[in-house]
Amino acid sequence: MARKVMAWSIAAAFLAACTGGGGEGPAGGPLGGTVQIMVFGDPEEVQSFRDLEAAFEEREPEVDVQLVVASDRDDLLARLATSFAGGEPPDLFLINHRFAGQFATRGVLEPLGPYVERSDVFGLEDLYPEATGAFVFGGGQVCLPQNISSLVVYFNRDLFEQADVPLPEAGWTWDEMVERASALTQDTDGDGEPDVYGLAVGPSLIRIAPFVWSNGGELVDDTEHPTRFTLDTPEATEALRDFFDLRLVHEVVPTEQEVESEDDAARFLNGRAAMMMSSRRDTPVFRTIEDFTWDVAPLPVHDEQVTILHTDAYCLSEASDHKEEAWAFVEFALGPEGAPLAAATGRTVPSLIEVAESPVFLEPGEPPANARAFLDTIPAIRRVPSISTWPEIEEAAEPFLEEGMFEGVPLADVVRSIDEATRTIFERGRS
Amino acid sequence: MLRMSERPHERGRWRHLPALLVSLAFLLPVWFMLTGSLRVPGAAPTPGVTALPIDPSVESFRRALALVPLGRFALNSVLVVVAAVPLTVVFASWAGFAISRLSPRARGIMVAVSLVALMVPSVALLVPRFALFRTLGLTNTYVPLIAPSLLGTSPFYVLIFVWAFRRLPQDFFDAGRVAGLSWLGVWWRVAMPLVRPVAVAVGVLAFVFTWGNFLDPLIYLFDESMFTLPLGLRSLSTVGPQDAPVFLAGAVLATAPVVGAFLYAQRFFLREHRESGWLGR
Repeated sequence: MARKVMAWSIAAAFLAACTGGGGEGPAGGPLGGTVQIMVFGDPEEVQSFRDLEAAFEEREPEVDVQLVVASDRDDLLARLATSFAGGEPPDLFLINHRFAGQFATRGVLEPLGPYVERSDVFGLEDLYPEATGAFVFGGGQVCLPQNISSLVVYFNRDLFEQADVPLPEAGWTWDEMVERASALTQDTDGDGEPDVYGLAVGPSLIRIAPFVWSNGGELVDDTEHPTRFTLDTPEATEALRDFFDLRLVHEVVPTEQEVESEDDAARFLNGRAAMMMSSRRDTPVFRTIEDFTWDVAPLPVHDEQVTILHTDAYCLSEASDHKEEAWAFVEFALGPEGAPLAAATGRTVPSLIEVAESPVFLEPGEPPANARAFLDTIPAIRRVPSISTWPEIEEAAEPFLEEGMFEGVPLADVVRSIDEATRTIFERGRS
Repeated sequence: MLRMSERPHERGRWRHLPALLVSLAFLLPVWFMLTGSLRVPGAAPTPGVTALPIDPSVESFRRALALVPLGRFALNSVLVVVAAVPLTVVFASWAGFAISRLSPRARGIMVAVSLVALMVPSVALLVPRFALFRTLGLTNTYVPLIAPSLLGTSPFYVLIFVWAFRRLPQDFFDAGRVAGLSWLGVWWRVAMPLVRPVAVAVGVLAFVFTWGNFLDPLIYLFDESMFTLPLGLRSLSTVGPQDAPVFLAGAVLATAPVVGAFLYAQRFFLREHRESGWLGR
């Protein structure tokens, strides 16, 4: 909590201190100098960035890459906001699309569109448009995505087979999922409490959103220029009710206390959750599983197949003195040489179509066997609005969603509270 | 009154009970950290905590050191602490001594100013401080981490010294002056020996603060080879749930020096307590 407060305070200071400037177009010349690149990740993920750095430096010996490593997103944002506000931003940084807006709209980023246009390594059309689209601000391509990950269902194949429950498959419905989750929720030691839950998923906005869309509802009134949540429409309310009922009626997901003592990923690892909804990021951790086999499947469907976008992109600082060198790194990292290095971590789905469709990603010899589920659902991807205050909006909405799912607060109250708590934040995001 | 003097041992025994209970509450997390770190990493995490390690192993310590160069980070932390802690004690005591020598009115103003400074949230100063150090070209050095010690690290430490010095009889200082000592001499030869437990306390507080300082290294250090322990620990905290013992092993390694410093320092409190009491009286 304290760190969150800290991060927001810094962000506020940052927004107050930032000023934009006119950008310079791409220019030629020999490469050289130090490029500072800010990234975040766990120790193993950081190692993949170091491999990338080493491979790039071998290619461009005159360029020295200084990798600045943060442990997680909060740390990255604290570092970024302070360094931008303090006038010493990194040349390049990697950031999630939900957090890029606050930088892009301040004019502190150099658009990468013109750079990729003149690249002979790859073009914009070689990257998944669903990912690149998330980084278009003011009509221009500002940042370039490194990965594209959709929300999928991870499932414990052994538990399904033991209980003789049909495996999740493409196009399965929400009701089928609830039915199978109920069959898989088991009290194995007879103490009256479930020891295995059919499903592990928490009431966060980015988990609920795809089902609102799937049911024909909308998250906000206008995706480009949102002014408020539209969770009060019948379609959205129904999807929300179905989601909360996972706990309130069907009791197929763990209680809040149980989640506190064992989070969803740990529960799945332990073989105590038959299914879990997550993005690609849990794959490396699940690859350590030896006791059972697991796989992935697309999200269940209300009316139409929808999933939600998770993507991170490289953004170039407008104030950078080494734009060409930074671009050379982006070109290398996202291109056919660098993308396989990032894909090797298992944590991301490469944004370069050619590499995503290659055996490097689809058949690495490790689970999930159905890695294609990540690619097949890409056309069905939707994303949350790219406004600068979106992270704050999510954070403000979350407590009410938790109350709705875990404490049974009436749905109408939840929807109203979320609307009341977020209107002014939407307002700020528009100015 | 009579009952107490009749049964001094009885009273002595029970009066430690609340303290024992309180310390037990504080020791439990430490115990779980220790037992947790001895679990084999990579195994499925246990729901809840384990009171006793089953099949203890030091594998998680090996993994922690392999994932993150904790030894290097510890050395960096030591470097910062060795510079920052003595400087903090010297500068805070100088400031405290100077303020305690002022006229009551001026002293009141200075104490008020210190209190106001104490209330400024450090986050509010983050960006201006970063801009300052950047202009001086001192980012990615240890200077921003050590520089606050030249102001006594926190106004609180200065105030502690003000109060400690004020409690000493002022005749001591006058006698020192009469004996031909400079003010610096009075501070070092007369004042400091009399408030030694306070100096140790401030030293310990400054040590704990500097050792655990996470925000400043996060903001000012770019080069991983310069990182301090809290950043390394933070990095370890991102490992998957099956590797929780690895993170706990890192926590044990980072906590041990603090515990050691405290155990060492508490001799000073206890001894002074027996001889002349807290605050050197």
